[in-house]
Parts: sequence; C-alpha cells; structure tokens
Amino acid sequence: MPPSQQLLLAATLIFVGAVVHALLALKAGAWKRARAQFSLMALGFVLQTGFIYLRGEEVRQCPIRSLSDILVFIAWSIVLLYFLLGSSFRLSLLGLFTAPLVTLMQVMAFLSGFAPYPPKGPINALVELHIALALISYAAFALACITGVMYLVQERMLKRHRIGGLFYQLPPIQGLAQAIQRLVRLGLLLLSIALGISFALHLPMTKTGHVVFAWIVWALYAVISLLMWKHFTSPRKTAWLAVIGFILPFISLWIVTHA
Amino acid sequence: MPEPKDIRSGLVCVGLNYKTTPVEVRERLAFPEAKVPDAVQEVRGLPGFEECVVLSTCNRVELYATHALPTGDHGHAALRDYLVTRFELQPEHAEALVLYNLDSAEAARHLFRVVSGLDSMVLGETEIFGQVKAAYKVALDTGTTSRSLNKLFQQAFTVGKKVRNETTIQRGSTSVGSVAVDLAEKVHDLKECRVMLVGAGEMSRTCAQSLLSRGAKSIIVSNRSYDKAVELAAEMKGTAMKFDEWEHALHEVDVIISSTSAPHFVIKPEQIDQVMRKRRWEPLLIIDIAVPRDVDPAVNDIEGVYLYDIDALQAIADDGRRERMRQLASCERIIEEQLEKYGFLKPGGGLVPA
Repeated sequence: MPPSQQLLLAATLIFVGAVVHALLALKAGAWKRARAQFSLMALGFVLQTGFIYLRGEEVRQCPIRSLSDILVFIAWSIVLLYFLLGSSFRLSLLGLFTAPLVTLMQVMAFLSGFAPYPPKGPINALVELHIALALISYAAFALACITGVMYLVQERMLKRHRIGGLFYQLPPIQGLAQAIQRLVRLGLLLLSIALGISFALHLPMTKTGHVVFAWIVWALYAVISLLMWKHFTSPRKTAWLAVIGFILPFISLWIVTHA
Repeated sequence: MPEPKDIRSGLVCVGLNYKTTPVEVRERLAFPEAKVPDAVQEVRGLPGFEECVVLSTCNRVELYATHALPTGDHGHAALRDYLVTRFELQPEHAEALVLYNLDSAEAARHLFRVVSGLDSMVLGETEIFGQVKAAYKVALDTGTTSRSLNKLFQQAFTVGKKVRNETTIQRGSTSVGSVAVDLAEKVHDLKECRVMLVGAGEMSRTCAQSLLSRGAKSIIVSNRSYDKAVELAAEMKGTAMKFDEWEHALHEVDVIISSTSAPHFVIKPEQIDQVMRKRRWEPLLIIDIAVPRDVDPAVNDIEGVYLYDIDALQAIADDGRRERMRQLASCERIIEEQLEKYGFLKPGGGLVPA
C-alpha cells in the first residue's frame, strides 16, 4: 500500500475511533470527556491533508479527478467546514454526526480503488478552482444534511418527551434550523461561483456530464433555499429536504465519474 | 501560639444545615454577608485558633477552622460557644442547638461533599460551589486563612470540579421549574426567548422566574384578574395583558406557560395552527401546568409545537432525580479516592491517625 493510502487508512481509523469514543462517552453520560473527540477529528484532518498532498505528488496534479479522490476531497472539505463553522454555529455534537459520514466516504474511496491518472495535461487554474469549489459546495450540502439529521433527532426527542443524554448535548432546535439554512446558502453560493467559472471556461454543457449534474444540483438547492427563505415549509420539512437533497449530489458523483 | 503540626490534627468543622436544623433556627444563626469578614476574624481570635472560613448560605452555616488545642472536642466546644455568644441564643435555644462536629478527615470529607453538591438539598446542584468559593475568598481577603486551609479549600475545589467532570451528578432537571428552563433552552436561544403566562398560579410563577433568572428576554402576564396580572408583571418586570387579549399576542411569544383554573381546554389546535403560520414556523414551547389541563393534547401534533403537561414535566424531573441518585456512588468513590490522595485516609480507606 502506497504511503498516501496508509495515511488515509490511518485517518479512517481515527474517525472510527472518534465515533466510538463519542458514543461511549455519551452512553456513560460523560460527554465532557468526549472533548477528546475534537482532537481525534483534528488528527484525522491532518492525516487526510497528508493523503491529499502525497496523492497529488503521485499523480502530479490536484487529486480530484477519480471517484475515490473526489470522495476523499469532499470528506476533507466536510471536516474543514466542521472546524470552520461548527463552533461559530454553536453546533455541539456536529463532530459525532460528521465522523460516520466521513468514515463511510473514505471506506467507499478504498472500495473504489485509487487508479493511476491519465498523463498530465496542461494545468488550467480556473478548471481546478471550478472543480474544487464545486466539491466544497457538496461538502456544505453534506454538512446541511448532517445538521438536518441532528434537527430531526432533537425534534423527535422533544415531541416524544424523550429527555435523555443526547438531548442535553444537542443544540437548540431553532439554532439547528438556522444552521441548515446557512449551510444550504453557503453551498449554493460556492456552487454558483463554480458554475459561473464554467461559463468563463466555455465548457459545453451537453458534452460535460458533471456540469449538467452540477446544474441539476444547483437547481435543487436553489428551490430548497427559496422554500426556506419564503418560509413555505416548516423547519422539519426543510430538515428532511436537506437530508434527502444530499442524496442527489452524492449519487451524481458516481454518474459523473463513470460517464 | 503554637502552629498545628498537620492539617489532619488541627482541622475542625462545626455546622448546621437544612437536615439538622429547621429554617426558623437557621435564619437566626445565619451570618449576613457583610458580617462574614468580622466573623472569620472573631473565630481566628479565639484562643488556640489559627485559621477560619465561614460558610453561610440559606441552607447551612459552617465554620471551618484549624486550631492548636489539645483535642478536636475542645475546638468543637469553642466554636459552639462562639455561635451561642455571637447570636445571643437563650439557654434553652442553645441547649436545643444541634450541630455537627467534625475533625480532620471527616471535616475534609464533609467539605468535599458540600463543594460537590452531594450535601445539598437538590442533589448535585452547582450553586454551592460558587458559594464556597465566595466564602473562601472572603476569608482569604480578610487574612484568616493560611497554609492549611488554603490547601484544603484548593483541594476541595479540585475535587468539586473532578466530580462534576467525571460524573453526570449535575445533569438533568430535578424540579418542574428547571425542566421548563431545560426545555426552553433546547427550543430557543433563551436570551431571545419571550414568555407568556396564561394564568398566574404559583407554579407558573416559579417556572417564569426560573426562565427569567436564566436570561429570558421578556414576559407577558395574562390573568382573569387583571389586577393580579399587573401585580405579577410588575414583580417580574414584564407586561400585563387582559385575559381576553392573550390570544392576539400568541404569535409574538416563544414559550407559553398556562395555568388557568378553567374546567375546559383554553388553548386549542385551531388557534395554534393559525399562530404557527403567523410565526413562520418558529418553534413554540407550551407548558401546561393546569389541572384540569388548559391545552388540548392535539396541539402537540402541530409541527414546531412542543407541548408538556404537568405529568410530563414531573416525569422528567423524577428521571433527573433518579439519574443523580445513580451517580451518587461514583461521586462518593471519587471523594474517597481524593481523601486518600491528599493523605486524609490510608490506602484502603482507614483514617490516618492525627
């Protein structure tokens, strides 16, 4: 196994450890001890970054052109956004919900295999920026999905009067609803910029599958964002939209990378 | 004056609390906050005494001191006499006074339990930690503590933090008022939370006060007797509203606490359904303390509405108390370990001879 993949394997194990540790701390009712989970997430992020760097050295370009690399890049972006936005949105436990998704994506990356890249062509910075922004926007949608799950869990506990350990750790339901909206808007903004760049690149939409799918994803989240903005739907339905809405970009990854 | 050789040999604690002494006696023996600096100096000035901290709260009065008297009993007797003289107790009251007299490891264990909230009326409450800190600070500033009590109180604060961090003794709500606060905190940011009282019963007043003390933004009081609404609103620095107007303000509040004596449902699903549209689905917490209930249970089926009646609140408070009781053994174990670590107990638990 090349050193890059060894780092990724270590990162995956660290994220698994973060989930297990957090679950044990929650079960024991001692969430304060689970602050170590933050450190585990940070260590996982460093190892992910190491993987992306070494993988870039191996393929002599930005490693975002195969399904496995794209999955890892999105997983890396999710953890990055978790660190950047988690505390400012006061989303405690976001790490607990983020780590399983990141683990799943990295396991899928391993299962897909890390194939060698075709020979390197000339690097176009705009193309790289277009792809990177689109993938980071997917990470924002992923975090909106995770926050949606947190909302639905907290909402269910409040409705059913199940006031247990997890209830005390989750943020207020109103804060979660606001965080979903902000993350969807952030993702939409990043994706809009990425698609704006595609105009500058004169990418032919009919021949570029990933741009078509990116537009479909953009349209979906534009509708979700409009529904949120105009308060056409309740926060519960919005949370469901954020959760289900992420499935489309996730599936589109396969279609795009295998097209 | 000879210094005590070891904190274990010279430490005493004399006190009374809500378990030993009824409130009518406790209030007579409580030190007003402004008088505590004088009190600590008076105790330190007693023959044979070296250091002193006075802890005086609504639930306890305790004197912690170090001395160089021949035995702990001499120390206890001197502190008891001081309390009797200081509060000018009549002989019959002095005779009836029930105090706990603790030395060395027992006194340290007691302080560790007090700081950890294990000796409190509400098991695991955290306010006592701050009260002990404040009492220690007064003594420190007054200059009545030295090496022994400084060390003991620092150890106590470490133990208190350890108990809080390693157990869930402080978690969960144990009263209807605190359940209301916990629920409100999980629905809204309390600082932005607007509360409405429909009916001005004692329990709803308690809940509202709990919410306000934790930072709720504003309060509206509506009651059949408008005068009572005005009185309660003035007490809570809120706004009074006539009883036939409360429905119009429903969309402006985030928490409704209902406790009317109406024999039928006062808050119905069709009202709340309309309110939720006006509120643009902002979540609404409804606490129904009335018996018979004021709020139709079908209201809980409306999206974004979270309804809790008195039984639901009580069940949560009972769970909280049970959970804290379950944690008690872990807390006591931590305290015993720390007593051993600090040399008050021999490995295995026996008292270290003074």
